Amino acid sequence: MSSLMGTAALMVQSDDAAAAVEWAEHFQKNYRLMTDVEKAEARARLERRYSAEYGKKVTVDGTEAQAGVLMGYALNVRKCIGCRRCVHACVEENNQSRGTRPGEKIEWIQVLRMERGEFSKDKMNQGYPEGLGIQVGGNAYTPAGQVLEGQYHYNPEAVPEKDATYMPIACMQCEKPPCVKVCPVRTTYREADGPVVIDYNWCIGCKMCMNACPYWARRFNLTTPVLPKEEMNPVTHYLGNRPRMRGVVEKCHWCLQRTRHDRYPACVEVCPVGARKFGNLLDPESEVSKILERKNVFRLKAEFNTFPKFFYFYD
Amino acid sequence: MKKLAFHTMILAFCCGVMTSAQAQDPKTAAAQAPAAQPAQETVCFESRKGASEVTKRDIKPGWPNVKCSPKTGAALWYGDPYDGTVPMGKMPGLENIPAGHALVKPRSGTLALMPMCGVSCHNGVGPQFSPPTLPKGRKPVPLPTMEAMVPDLKDLQHGRGRIWCMDCHHTTQRNKLVDHFGDPISFDQPQLLCGKCHGDKLRDWRDGIHGKRIGEFTSTGKKRWFTCTECHNPHNVQDGARNRGFVQLQPEPSPQLPRGMKDASHEKLHPIPH
Repeated sequence: MSSLMGTAALMVQSDDAAAAVEWAEHFQKNYRLMTDVEKAEARARLERRYSAEYGKKVTVDGTEAQAGVLMGYALNVRKCIGCRRCVHACVEENNQSRGTRPGEKIEWIQVLRMERGEFSKDKMNQGYPEGLGIQVGGNAYTPAGQVLEGQYHYNPEAVPEKDATYMPIACMQCEKPPCVKVCPVRTTYREADGPVVIDYNWCIGCKMCMNACPYWARRFNLTTPVLPKEEMNPVTHYLGNRPRMRGVVEKCHWCLQRTRHDRYPACVEVCPVGARKFGNLLDPESEVSKILERKNVFRLKAEFNTFPKFFYFYD
Repeated sequence: MKKLAFHTMILAFCCGVMTSAQAQDPKTAAAQAPAAQPAQETVCFESRKGASEVTKRDIKPGWPNVKCSPKTGAALWYGDPYDGTVPMGKMPGLENIPAGHALVKPRSGTLALMPMCGVSCHNGVGPQFSPPTLPKGRKPVPLPTMEAMVPDLKDLQHGRGRIWCMDCHHTTQRNKLVDHFGDPISFDQPQLLCGKCHGDKLRDWRDGIHGKRIGEFTSTGKKRWFTCTECHNPHNVQDGARNRGFVQLQPEPSPQLPRGMKDASHEKLHPIPH
């Protein structure tokens, strides 16, 4: 009770809108347990706070999942040229922290550069036993870069490079997400239309989900996020790209603020080679359904039975 | 005690409303002021550098049509995906899409030679043959004037020497492309021409698998479709300097290094030497 009084006293003195709503937010329930009225109140509170903080009209949307929609994503690995435009489009859209000091720069998409494998003539005789060794077969093959042992920080003059393939990874929006299983406060969950989302207000920052995720998709706000006013995207969703606070986990949510209104995610829209595809898996006419029907498709780390809704394909 | 807490809550709520109202006023005034100043023009490219340029402008205050990368000049974010588009026109196989939901950005206006090429040199007088084949025993001869105006023609690679200009361009209307029946095709609908040979790609493009569309993701939604020539240069499709079929681009900046890490040389060490 004394802490309550303290906060209240602090608030009366403060002329900061952020502090005014923090107190109410402190007693907010888990988003899924709130009534519609409470959800609307929570969003209105945030709109007021963000509008004051960023100096423009910020909307916090709460559109629920539509019936008959199950979002799915496909990426053509043969097409990706590793230009990282998706990475930066995501930052423009989703209000990530973009400071310069360590831990202040957060990007949800990582583009892996991997060496291409090949068979070469000069290695024809490698792999055969010398002396008492055991034959392990021919070794003319140079393995392609192993998944998750690739290079993230590649920075050549121009891409694509001759001997590289590129594989962007982000949240795979699993049907059986390990991060949801481990969350002790159940703040991260799968929405009815597919994406796995986080109620940032309920997150305690224990980072269990970051440990559980086999795709390294989750990011932690180690510092207070650095988000310049003019760069802030004022169209936000409660479970999506609203500005986060220090000490919470965030990740890709397939641009809920866009996709709930039928708009393509930001990364799909900027891909210069059209490698990224997004659609409704339940609609047989959608581009993702057509890809599943027609192309060679694989999922990353399928052996974990996480059943990602993010498919890689090639043609 | 509970009552006291409730009163403070009300007080706090009122304070919050008042401060936010006060905070808003000067900000909105500030936002209106710079709109009057002439903005510096930013041009960025969408897909193919030199062929898909877009000029940044504000659709409404603080909401640009496109955001550009400061490093590479690439378009990074669309405020309005339908900016500067027109309806695609008739396209076989897309009958299910409601009228006005398939849009393209016209390229005719951006092609520098377009206004003159149909009138100044090729003024509609020419061989009236259809299909446009050369007379027997004649081979196409490069024209120095034409090559000077369109440098891509010095090294025409499309078809590896098996096709020539009139296979794609109309014989008498040079500001048009040509279909199988000798009828003109607009430069804004190159898919009708390219699909003549690249049928598999046309099918994938029509289904959204090949190429790019922006706007609404639903299958009948309103989309801007990127046409063939917005990404591909039809004259030098087999340029030897390309890697894996793509013209090289400058990449966007690499991610931040973790605290204490000087460079990313560890990434180049293979866990398994080979």
